[in-house]
Amino acid sequence: MDNPIEAARARQPVLELAPDGFSELYQAHSREIYYLTLRLLGDDAKAEDATHDVFLKAFKKWDDFRGDASARTWLYRIAINHCSNLRQSWHSRNLVTNAADAIWENAAAQYDSPLRVLETKELGERIQRTLDNLPEEYRLLLLLVANEELSYDEIANLTGQSPDAVRGKLHRARKAFAAHFQKTA
Amino acid sequence: MKHEKKFSSQEQQVSETQSRQTTAREFASVEELLRFDTGQTTVPPAIADRLQKSAAQINPPAARPWWKNLFGSKS
Repeated sequence: MDNPIEAARARQPVLELAPDGFSELYQAHSREIYYLTLRLLGDDAKAEDATHDVFLKAFKKWDDFRGDASARTWLYRIAINHCSNLRQSWHSRNLVTNAADAIWENAAAQYDSPLRVLETKELGERIQRTLDNLPEEYRLLLLLVANEELSYDEIANLTGQSPDAVRGKLHRARKAFAAHFQKTA
Repeated sequence: MKHEKKFSSQEQQVSETQSRQTTAREFASVEELLRFDTGQTTVPPAIADRLQKSAAQINPPAARPWWKNLFGSKS
């Protein structure tokens, strides 16, 4: 097993009491769910609690999961709702208006170059500081689009917008991220 | 002595440069950067342990049948 990600997955304890398939679900998706909650909440302990709560909710609803959506999308929805509740009415406070979008577009217009990192040791902290400076909607969109397994349609569905709206906001979110990221160096 | 000191200082400089070179990276996009960060992130093993305990409270293991207690069968 050469792949370190696969090796780490294999080391995860198996949930012995879980119904069929749930243990595999945890092994396959715990990393992406933990990462999402970590970067949305910005705190290791909160992310640990949130990941536990997300999988516990999934565990309780496992018999009702009919596979209408992919298991990944299902888990992401639970995780996003959970983090939104923790951060109190995320949608009502943080959807980016068109006016705010324009401000971000102008502020970040100059950043189109690749992101250079001299030291990867503290990269996580830099990324967190950068994400903390973005509107929550941008943060969520960037974290979702970084997962290559999620399509634009699925991201649109998860965030309650059209795929075109997602593409437009992602364009601005990338620039805003790049602009802030350079400042954290 | 001075020569020795200078040599060791140069050596240190080379070592630091090499160290910087090995960790420097360039990411073509934000997504690529975030994917790298995801790969560097380890899920705390404590989550699975806690989940195991929480799941046991919701779905306790089936009670040992009474006849096994009576006859002491291990199967």
